[in-house]
Amino acid sequence: MNAAALAREDRYLGDLGPKLYVRLGGIGLGLIVVSLVLGFFAKDWDRFWRAYVVAYCFVISICLGGLFFTILQHLTRAGWSVAIRRISEGLASNLRWLWILFIPIVWIVWTDSEGGLYHWTLGAEAMREMGGAEAGLLAHKEAFLNPMFWTLRAALYFAIWFALAQFFVGNSIAQDTSGDPSITSRMQALAAPAMILYAFTQTFAAVDWLMTLEFAWYSTMFGVYFFAASCCGFGATMILLIYFLQRAGRVTESISIEHYHDMGKFLFAFGIVFWAYIAYSQYMLIWYANMPEETTWFMVRQLGSWKGLSLLLILGHFFIPFFFLLTRHTKRVKGVLAAAAAWMVAIHFIDMYWLVMPMVPIELVQSVDGDYAALVIAFQAPENAAYDLNWQLFDVTLMLGFAALMVAGTAFGLRSRSLVPEQDPRLAESLAFENY
Amino acid sequence: MTTLPLDNTFDDPTRRAPLVLNHDDFGSVTNTICGVNERPKPPRAWYIAFAISSTFLMVLGILIGYLFWTGVGVWGNQNPAMWGFPIVNFVFWVGIGHAGTLISAILYLFRQKWRTAINRFAEAMTIFAVICAGMFPGIHVGRVWVSYWLFPIPNQMEMWPQFRSPLLWDVFAVGTYFTVSLLFWYVGMIPDLATLRDRATTKLKAISYGIFALGWRGSMRHWHRYERTYLLLAALATPLVLSVHSVVSFDFAVAQVPGWHTTIFPPYFVAGAIFSGFAMVMTLAIPARQWWGLKDFITLRHLETMNKIILVTGSMVGYAYIMEFFTAWYSGAMYESFAFVNRMFGQYAWAYWIMVTCNVIIPQLFWFKKARQSIPIMFGICLLVNVGMWFERFVIIVTSLSQDHLPANWDYFHPTWVDLTMLAGSFGLFMTLFLLFIRYLPVIAIAEVKAIMPAANPHAHDHDKEASA
Repeated sequence: MNAAALAREDRYLGDLGPKLYVRLGGIGLGLIVVSLVLGFFAKDWDRFWRAYVVAYCFVISICLGGLFFTILQHLTRAGWSVAIRRISEGLASNLRWLWILFIPIVWIVWTDSEGGLYHWTLGAEAMREMGGAEAGLLAHKEAFLNPMFWTLRAALYFAIWFALAQFFVGNSIAQDTSGDPSITSRMQALAAPAMILYAFTQTFAAVDWLMTLEFAWYSTMFGVYFFAASCCGFGATMILLIYFLQRAGRVTESISIEHYHDMGKFLFAFGIVFWAYIAYSQYMLIWYANMPEETTWFMVRQLGSWKGLSLLLILGHFFIPFFFLLTRHTKRVKGVLAAAAAWMVAIHFIDMYWLVMPMVPIELVQSVDGDYAALVIAFQAPENAAYDLNWQLFDVTLMLGFAALMVAGTAFGLRSRSLVPEQDPRLAESLAFENY
Repeated sequence: MTTLPLDNTFDDPTRRAPLVLNHDDFGSVTNTICGVNERPKPPRAWYIAFAISSTFLMVLGILIGYLFWTGVGVWGNQNPAMWGFPIVNFVFWVGIGHAGTLISAILYLFRQKWRTAINRFAEAMTIFAVICAGMFPGIHVGRVWVSYWLFPIPNQMEMWPQFRSPLLWDVFAVGTYFTVSLLFWYVGMIPDLATLRDRATTKLKAISYGIFALGWRGSMRHWHRYERTYLLLAALATPLVLSVHSVVSFDFAVAQVPGWHTTIFPPYFVAGAIFSGFAMVMTLAIPARQWWGLKDFITLRHLETMNKIILVTGSMVGYAYIMEFFTAWYSGAMYESFAFVNRMFGQYAWAYWIMVTCNVIIPQLFWFKKARQSIPIMFGICLLVNVGMWFERFVIIVTSLSQDHLPANWDYFHPTWVDLTMLAGSFGLFMTLFLLFIRYLPVIAIAEVKAIMPAANPHAHDHDKEASA
């Protein structure tokens, strides 16, 4: 390591900061307005709000990944990651304001008496009057699935995430000026309970916001699946942010190829292999036991064009990146790793889309009485075309708008802060480490 | 060489704790560790332990003979609980066999240097536990003389195993795991075997160690090849740590039996396996470091770190219990809810509450530094975790089978004296192998421990004269 170059390196966003958060913030808000206009002309608000949930979960999964990564480093007393930890803190800091974008979803849950987005908002009583076969099931779940409890839970998740982000980001930044190692000790001491809070809030947020879209379906693995997915989104976003920061001439020395290599390993291990392990286990167990109340969720994802999207996930979220990132060479060329990360961010978005979008009315599934071949044929009928995969422009504009806001928020969180935790007692270790 | 007692349990972010105490040079490390094997007589405790465990092993052998002669009716397995103790013991022992490879492979990839003090005997423990595990389904098949039918061997009957059965996947998963763990253990031991060969005082020892040292001379080329092999084996063994117990969990989770079919089973079983495996490592490490004077290598810090891992994996198990219970209610599935309520308050409630107390409640003591650093407390907790994890498998297997979909079938499972004695006998097998290992093979990876000492760091003169954690 070249000490002189290290001393000269630019560790502040400087004029790049306002550029990023003003412009990207503007672009983000603009794209959301454009999406609303597109939604207005599409005249399918249920569809629009589904796209909104996709975009929201895409962004918050990445920021939650940032929070997880930050807490994990303190929990394990990690040395290698100190030089890059500030970037993940920047992502986690978005959890302090992301609740604002959640308000429209809460509003929908309270006002949507037809159950357009979350079917359970229809209510068991109304469902029974309509002759819905699952009214009894919903009545059983109403103690959990009612707007009041659901909103209170969401408020609790956001309050906990706010507090955790505030604590871990705030203390780390405070250390930049005070240089007090006891701050590190304090963060380490609280990392273990923080991790437990994180595990439960993240799990139940995934259950509340994604799994209950189809209230009849359940899987004990769902929270872990969302966690694995968020590791993928976060790991890939982190690599991209570091890559573009260095392209812009920031932190060019302290973040070395060794950190890229390790982030590549993180993305490979958690975002690709662990994700595949969880996804495979969940699918295989449900497929094998073949119980109708569980298989419907996957059956829908094997119909029409959804099948293609499912196959794309298997290939694009596991097989291709697995072999691509298996060798150390691809993890140690910045441009190549960044390209792989860009791919993984895109496929993470598709994963979220795949979790939310496929929706076949339960009546259609029940009408074929378990005959899968008949379901495939029934699905092809013209009147069911609306349930097939149909991309809307606002799917993409919403996602890009939210992503722009996330990057703007990250830049705002890191404005006038050092991009490296300069006074962290383990910084020297992080700067010196090498992969064997 | 200093003899001052050193406290390395501090948690100071400005410096890493030393992992080897009271040894400044490589020579004294070699002397201490080889001394375990080279001393003319092991401590008295070894003889007592060996006498007890080999007795149990003999009893196990006699009972297996009795089982073969009489049939599986000697066990308590009865309709509807056709899987009783043998499968509970199988899953228990496979679980124990998870810590070794986790320490050797995953902690190696995570650059956890403290693992070097414990990886060797944790791996040995893994191998012996898998031997105990593999025995149970083997003798459970009933007609043991055709148990080779489990393998896809072409024969004149053109009989092939049922490839769609997870029980067959077990054969492959456990077989692969055993093979790779054994290879990993052996490859890691080669440089140390060569050390024992070079120090041997008798011809017999020199030849015996020499054969297994494969002509190791410690040349640069040897080391280079060795390091590459070790890294590759670590990378191969890492997915195996997860896959074995995932496949074991499939035995249950693919079925439609209430209480068995939940999707979180694979990672939940893996976490439970590591939890129980670490508890067993602790159960063995605490007396071993005492009797063989290895406290400078397996320091209090090592024990504390392992206690933390027990707390982490125990919390993961607790998370899975909560998710299972929540989903059983949330699903609205009648049978599923019944299975879980029945576990808590039904005829096996006593077993359920032993499991929860030992696995979830008692390990919470490890939140306190005092408990993590007190030898008697941690030893007690680890023993209880072993008990709790055995009961976890008992609860999963026996409660769900005893009260299945057909109430007319319901019954209460009673183990026989053969069940109980064979469980004790499997500990005899395990301990006998382990005691022989301590007597004749290097218990700590000498070469690896040296590599984490300050003297191995070429920049040691620039920095603190301390090994890094």
